[in-house]
Amino acid sequence: MLNKPASRWTLVDLAVISAVAAGVIFFFVRMTQVLEYQWEWQAIPGYFLFRDPETGHFSANMLLKGFGTTLKLSVWSMILGFILGTFSGIMGAKGGTFGRMFSRFYVETVRNIPSLVLVILFYYFVSSQFLDALGLDQWIRRLPDSAARGVAFFLAGAGQINAFVSAACALAIYEGAYISEIVRGGINGVSKGQWEAAWSMGLSQAQTFRLVILPQAFRRTAFPLAGQFISTIKDSAIVSVISVQELTFQGMELMAATFLTFEIWITITLLYFTLTFSLSRTISFFEKHMAIRQ
Amino acid sequence: MRHRQHLIAASVFTVVLVLTVVIGYRNLSYNWQWYRVAPYFFSFEQGQFMPGVLLQGVWVTLKISGISLILSLIIGTVSAFARLSPYLSLRGLAWCYVETIRNTPLLIQIFVMYFVISPVLDLSAFTSAVIALSLFEGAYSSEIIRSGIVNIPKGQWEASQSIGLPTSVIYLKVILPQMLRQTLPMLAGQSVSLIKDSALVSTISIYDLTMQGQKIVSETFLTFEIWFVVALCYLSMTATLSFIVRKIESRIRFVQ
Amino acid sequence: MKKSAIFCILSLMLLIPISQASAGELGDQLAKESIVEKIQRDKVIRVGMSTFVPWAMKDKQGKLIGFEIDVARQLAEDMGVEVEFVPTAWSGIIPALMTGKFDVIIGGMGITPKRNLKVNFTMPYDYSGMSMVAHQKKAEGFSELKDFDNPDVHIAVRMGTTAEQAARKFFPKANLRLFENESQALQELNLGRVHAVVSSAPMPVFHALKYPDKLFVPLKENFTKEPIGFAIRKGDPDALNYFNNWIINMHASGFLKEKKAFWFESREWEALVK
Repeated sequence: MLNKPASRWTLVDLAVISAVAAGVIFFFVRMTQVLEYQWEWQAIPGYFLFRDPETGHFSANMLLKGFGTTLKLSVWSMILGFILGTFSGIMGAKGGTFGRMFSRFYVETVRNIPSLVLVILFYYFVSSQFLDALGLDQWIRRLPDSAARGVAFFLAGAGQINAFVSAACALAIYEGAYISEIVRGGINGVSKGQWEAAWSMGLSQAQTFRLVILPQAFRRTAFPLAGQFISTIKDSAIVSVISVQELTFQGMELMAATFLTFEIWITITLLYFTLTFSLSRTISFFEKHMAIRQ
Repeated sequence: MRHRQHLIAASVFTVVLVLTVVIGYRNLSYNWQWYRVAPYFFSFEQGQFMPGVLLQGVWVTLKISGISLILSLIIGTVSAFARLSPYLSLRGLAWCYVETIRNTPLLIQIFVMYFVISPVLDLSAFTSAVIALSLFEGAYSSEIIRSGIVNIPKGQWEASQSIGLPTSVIYLKVILPQMLRQTLPMLAGQSVSLIKDSALVSTISIYDLTMQGQKIVSETFLTFEIWFVVALCYLSMTATLSFIVRKIESRIRFVQ
Repeated sequence: MKKSAIFCILSLMLLIPISQASAGELGDQLAKESIVEKIQRDKVIRVGMSTFVPWAMKDKQGKLIGFEIDVARQLAEDMGVEVEFVPTAWSGIIPALMTGKFDVIIGGMGITPKRNLKVNFTMPYDYSGMSMVAHQKKAEGFSELKDFDNPDVHIAVRMGTTAEQAARKFFPKANLRLFENESQALQELNLGRVHAVVSSAPMPVFHALKYPDKLFVPLKENFTKEPIGFAIRKGDPDALNYFNNWIINMHASGFLKEKKAFWFESREWEALVK
């Protein structure tokens, strides 16, 4: 671009801003006049925290619990997806013909099916074959109370565990395909000279890979992977269709009971936005910082 | 020699995959009723071809994706230019748009569009679905197009300006062709995503492929059969598109 | 000839006790595999349900309340076990039961022949019927079923419910808008984008009472009557027997009647929700 961005306000800016303002005002006027919608924002904070009438303590209500589940789900699916994606990415980059084919097959299949369909297929098909046989819920029920509470904090309670784990696995498989491509790109991006130099120093192929290539590849992939984590948070909204009690699901349950549709949708949107926006800002801050240092 | 090795590996891979599927299929304690699926695809009534509900769903999915693709390209281009414009307000507006869309889940955007915005503006379900999808993909296209413009070397601008071309001509004759070549593969990838993402509009009662599948399952409980078929339908749609994209890509590379 | 006859008799003699034993074993095995046994072993009954106001919903503190919830809690108490609710999307609740995500559906499920081909139902513990709530402006002057059977009429229902089936049967010409959640269907009605919502009584009437200046109830009576039962997986006679007799007992003790009066005839519970 040659034209330098102006930093002064001009008449055009004034026109744009007034047009936007007019649009917003028009929207709200119509909302109150045409729909006769009665805002009830005062009810919303109570759905985050409420004072238990029996104990007098504050405890988390549906929206906060849902937000927590969304976070847990994203972290677990990212961890699982990272393992899966790294495995498939390394195979895709440095595996034999067979490994490459496996990697391609996995990546292409997953990337060409809607995540919604994938989650549903996984929930009914795969999880009913394997997950239920594992008997995770029974395992949790046999645990002592404190341990069970710990599991509920990091994973999910006994009643929710099967849905939670199948959702986490389905999301992991979905994100894993994208992570696989990131990792493969990272490994392929390390220049050939590095391999040759390592060999000439007498390192074996495995040693080269572990000591020379992987550290460099990880430096290249760190930020794309962080970006993928943000995608995972957003994609996790989909598992509300298999009734995992994350933020979107809790919001819909709340709407069923209260009919505060507009307030709750706006609150949920803001929650997702705050979470992912602050994360993405943090990531790009570090990215710039690192770029300067290098 | 290498080619033959590939062929052998590919066939072994396919055989192993098919065997796994067949064995898994046999061992499953599930009463497969594939014969009930075909009528949902198409049937012949007195020799006349009748598309079934699944095929109708495929058509709706393609229609929504097609319209949204065109709209999203327009939105993307406009907002990319707005972000590069000299006006602060336009830059701010485009930035707000892109960041809002990229930091919230599409599912939520569709719900908000349908249950919060569309009643105020009196939009139909189909229109709100199309708008939500085009706004979503538009934000990603906007970034692709913007990077396409930014990545064009400065010399190109300087050269065209030095021969006295007006800005509009520079954009149209110099920048656009180069930008297209750079961004087309990525934009094509976006269109594959669009087909996949359109599955989410089933949540606002649009009779697309996913919705039709869900409806059949809730009526007949043919859970596995229908969902496998739906997944295959999406796979063939996106695979066909990817194939076309790859053809275009190779042609562009050839031109270069 | 003789040899083979002896052989036949011998083998028959051998077979008889074996087949007797296997029948006994089969019975034992069935009893052992029954979910009643499993529930007692795990000390928990897993109940599949979905939000249906006022059958099952969440109160202000996010706790589950409602008619079905009371029924399931009482059942668990009588069995001496804990209850665990597994919220499940309604359109997929039967596949979820069949694939073992929970032990029993206690979710206001109407007993229909089509569903019964896939799962077993207990005897009815409640009867419900389809009712309708309509938008005053959009459905002005509509007072009969046939008024709604028109290609210009839009009707919102929840996907996979008997309301969907009833709407298809009674309004074959109307446009059906299917939603995963009931609240979304009702939202459509409140916004005036559909003419009516079909759902199990008494929810439509309650909803009309909540928005008296927007909505009305076009038909004074329910237009279908359907029995409501627990759904369990096929091949479990013990569970069927246990649940059936529990329901008989609860009918006799007046428990079901009392709960029905609280949730379906009064509106006291509305204070718990909002």
